[in-house]
Amino acid sequence: MKTFEEIAEAMSQAVATGDDTQAAAVAREALAAGVEPQRVFEQIIAPTLTEIGDRFQRLEIFLPEMMMAADAAKAVFAVLQPAIEFGKTSLASQGRIVIGTVAGDVHDIGKNMVASMLEVNGFEVINLGCDVPPDAFLRAAREKQADIIAMSSLLTTSLPYMKDVLEVLRESGEQGRFKVMVGGGPVTAEWAQQVGADGYGKDAAEAVTIARRLLQRQ
Amino acid sequence: MRNPPDIIEVLARTQSGEYCTTKDWDTRRVPGAVRQMLQKHGLAKTCDTQNPCNYDFELADRFYQAGFELALELGYHVLDTQRTVKVSREELQNALKYAPSQVFVGEGKDGTLIKHRTPGDPYPMASVCSLGITNSEAMFPLITLGIARERAVDILEAGSLITLRGHEVLSGTPWETLLGYEHARMHLDIRRKAGRPGMGAIGCISAVTEYGQFGAYGTPGGFRTTDLALILFPSELKIDYRTLHKVIHTLNCGGMMKCDSPSMIGGMAGPPEGAVICSIACALLSYAILQNTVGGGEIYDVRYLANVNREGLWALSVTAQALARNTHICSHIIANQVSGPVTASLLYEIAAGVGVIAASGASMSTGPRSAGGKLNDHITPLECRFMGEICHAASGISPQHMNEICKELLPKYEDRLKNPDVGKPFQEAYNVERLEPTAEWEDIYRRVKAEMIQLGIPMDEF
Repeated sequence: MKTFEEIAEAMSQAVATGDDTQAAAVAREALAAGVEPQRVFEQIIAPTLTEIGDRFQRLEIFLPEMMMAADAAKAVFAVLQPAIEFGKTSLASQGRIVIGTVAGDVHDIGKNMVASMLEVNGFEVINLGCDVPPDAFLRAAREKQADIIAMSSLLTTSLPYMKDVLEVLRESGEQGRFKVMVGGGPVTAEWAQQVGADGYGKDAAEAVTIARRLLQRQ
Repeated sequence: MRNPPDIIEVLARTQSGEYCTTKDWDTRRVPGAVRQMLQKHGLAKTCDTQNPCNYDFELADRFYQAGFELALELGYHVLDTQRTVKVSREELQNALKYAPSQVFVGEGKDGTLIKHRTPGDPYPMASVCSLGITNSEAMFPLITLGIARERAVDILEAGSLITLRGHEVLSGTPWETLLGYEHARMHLDIRRKAGRPGMGAIGCISAVTEYGQFGAYGTPGGFRTTDLALILFPSELKIDYRTLHKVIHTLNCGGMMKCDSPSMIGGMAGPPEGAVICSIACALLSYAILQNTVGGGEIYDVRYLANVNREGLWALSVTAQALARNTHICSHIIANQVSGPVTASLLYEIAAGVGVIAASGASMSTGPRSAGGKLNDHITPLECRFMGEICHAASGISPQHMNEICKELLPKYEDRLKNPDVGKPFQEAYNVERLEPTAEWEDIYRRVKAEMIQLGIPMDEF
């Protein structure tokens, strides 16, 4: 039977290298060894993911590595989740976010950066992809009981679709139910405020800060 | 001899090529192939931030070889079908063999002859102004007229309109088709008003989906087929049916195209060296798969969404040199700034970025991206004049000399790249009625221009 330190090293290594199969295997070993899922998250996954986010900011690793590390962390959560007490929505989640690039726009690199940074910082992220129509954001947010809807766009002509989402939320009386974050090339803090979004992140790191702030206020 | 695939064959390959999910493409295929090429050619960690304008041409040639092999290895990923369009070595070689080495954009005496250039080539790099910074409807005609009047600007692109007669324009709807046409009509009218009716243009930046192009390009009164159709596609090495709609529309019109997609430092291509070989591969494939006329060679840094930092400049220089020395294509490379109008930083960033591109042998550059292109009406004709002057004056400077100039310029702005001074909008930077810069902006321009002359960029005296 492996010690906690050995499990921690193996899991951290598997997550950092984006090896989801190995990460899940180590998670199963952790459960078999009687390690508390909460301890796995707090003492292994959270610090590993924080370090990965910092390394990306310093360009010591790059977007694919960060995306794969986030996937490996998800594989760990998938193993640990059934083992935790009933009633908690998610083991490690700081909050649940549906994210996508809005209708008419297929640019995904900025949105993927934000999604991965959120994931490695402990948020549960449901990535809807690109060219996402307003109603798809809303349907996903309702179905997944999201805390935040995050929308990205690089095209000025796609910005009005973000407003559509906010408009429908107001009309359906769900304005307070989901926080809305916006970002992307032509989006500014002023524009975000003007259209009634709850938050704006100028880059992936700021998006994490804003998401944390929005959920603290709830 | 195997000719490059025609458009029918390209469409067929979008349906029959190898299946690969976008996620797999982004996280495994591209990064894996890039790492392999960097290792094979000994190119990892060759980025020299102390020498931001490369002058080791042998290194640039090795990057070209790696980029060429990467193009053959990967091809383009098609987002709509999750298939890969690949070309054979012979098809790629022939596409490059038949690519134009010079292109005349525009008409008559107002037109511009874009030519293939080499590092240090005295033939002037063509200046295209500005990038698609959003303009209000009230300011668009004034800003665009001001830019078109600047004689240092060779080709007009102009800003993007965000509304049409007060209505917001929605991507992928008839609004875009209409905006494309209205933008193109105003654009041509402005070129006439500026006294340059034959001035070449690129469009349509206001509405960049296929609908915008259908409305703008080749329509009576719109962009002419002697102008360049703007065809942008996603990074890394990805196309979609939207891209091919625009290619086919341009071919149907008998027009010319400028196809571009940036590689991202820190993105799927990884380090600066990876972004360089991805950018080269992307440029080469655009000639074989999209029948590109001019273009290829874009690189941004994901940390700044700019490229006038040390790693960005180095990557731009190597990419431009690699394409210039190993092909006869007319490359197009953008320098992305982050500071705004009425700041000296903006002009320093333009001088470094555009200077590196011109000295390294690119044929054409579009800019500036004042205030990072984020703020409405944050663009003025004066920085376009400055950019055009740098395009022409830095052509003929050797990359080694430009490297020394960059070493002087970078300390003037690099500390502020993360939190730039976004400056002032056009309405505050210009006397709008007389279309003249304010004394403050004119003074900054004159001071920085004098500094550039002193640094050895042979700009015209006042």
